[in-house]
Amino acid sequence: MRRAAWIIGFIAVQAACIWVVQPDLGRLWAGLPRLAGWIAGGFPPDFSGFGDLAARAAETLALATLGTTLAGVLALPLALMAARPANPYPALYHPIRTLLDALRGIDGFVFALIFVAAVGLGPFAGMLGVALHSAGSLGKLWSEALEAADPAPMEAARSAGAGRAQAAAVILLSETLPQTASAALYVWEFNIRASTVLGLVGAGGIGQELKNAVDLLDFSRVLAILALIVAMTLTADRLSAALRARLL
Amino acid sequence: MLAISVQGLGASLGGRVVLRDISLDVAAGEMVALIGPSGAGKTTLLRAMAGLLPSSGKLESQGQPALVFQQHALASRLTARDNVMVGGLGRMGFWRAALRLWPRAEMALAEASLARVGLAGLGGRRADRLSGGQRQRVAIARALHQQSRILLADEPVASLDPALAEDVLSLLQDLARRDRLAVLVSLHQHDLAARFADRLLCLEDGCLRQI
Repeated sequence: MRRAAWIIGFIAVQAACIWVVQPDLGRLWAGLPRLAGWIAGGFPPDFSGFGDLAARAAETLALATLGTTLAGVLALPLALMAARPANPYPALYHPIRTLLDALRGIDGFVFALIFVAAVGLGPFAGMLGVALHSAGSLGKLWSEALEAADPAPMEAARSAGAGRAQAAAVILLSETLPQTASAALYVWEFNIRASTVLGLVGAGGIGQELKNAVDLLDFSRVLAILALIVAMTLTADRLSAALRARLL
Repeated sequence: MLAISVQGLGASLGGRVVLRDISLDVAAGEMVALIGPSGAGKTTLLRAMAGLLPSSGKLESQGQPALVFQQHALASRLTARDNVMVGGLGRMGFWRAALRLWPRAEMALAEASLARVGLAGLGGRRADRLSGGQRQRVAIARALHQQSRILLADEPVASLDPALAEDVLSLLQDLARRDRLAVLVSLHQHDLAARFADRLLCLEDGCLRQI
């Protein structure tokens, strides 16, 4: 009976989504030849002016890396306040967790859109967008790692007269380093992928080139840019995975 | 000279009375063993005496007692030296501790504490790369680094084999004899307690009696 209710509920949710999205297989079928034509027309990929493309890719890499670093700086105190064993001000526990949820809830793309309006076009706006969203993600992941740590060393430090924040800084941060560093690498890797589209809103990086090429229907260029994006994200994935393997 | 004195101590955990009207004292240079079955309240008594649990009654001591925890309670990724320094965090500011910029004098004290427990030269080794006996010694060194005259040890040999257990108890005995510390140690093993302690106290059903 319970299982039937779950199945009926699942089907009802899917039906509601179909009603909203209105998927149309006929339109997909009609569009497939067009898509195939674009892909075929994209060969060979146009890597002319590779230096410019590489510079844009480097911009994406730089804004994602700097954004992740800034996110870490913002997330560290927030994570400590959002973890019960480390928080010296219990009254701030729930407000800080709500703030982290809010930061996580707004996508970096949306933040970038707002920052483009506030600070102008370019990678700086993108970096700020990445940093704010990632501060929420990192803060949440780090606070969970801090809360899951063995409480005994903290208690020993507290019994020796250490303050809660002091003990957390010395013990919890070191004990959870494999988890927190791994989370930071995961977020960095995610940010490199996510930053490739920030150019669509004028927030710098290779996404800007992609948008220009799509607007001009220059599919050889689009294919070259996609190849570069895939190469960049795969390299970051491998590097991040290797570093995480060393840490854990 | 009495280092710590407890009169009429009582404590409850989760609404259940665990300790009733406990009175005991330990003099400087004395090692007292607290024995009793599991669940008798030995850990609760030591934690109450260390100020980690709320309790009723009167407690007088020469400064804050240092507690050696059951199962070491070491930070596994910190070095033995850094774990010992944790005992001195109460004497340091936040940033100095957070950045682990240990004061020179504290470093020297920590090295002396490590040497006192027979771990000279092992300060740079990570805690998770030490043997069980070495970890327990680091835990004792951390307690020594608190510069307290009173050492409370909660089942410090529970996880050690008999030879290592004797080594650790011999060290605690030596700390009482030579360094004139007041040592109160809870133990399961009556034979070890009788061999190493000056006095035995038995805790049963939350009440204490002298043996």
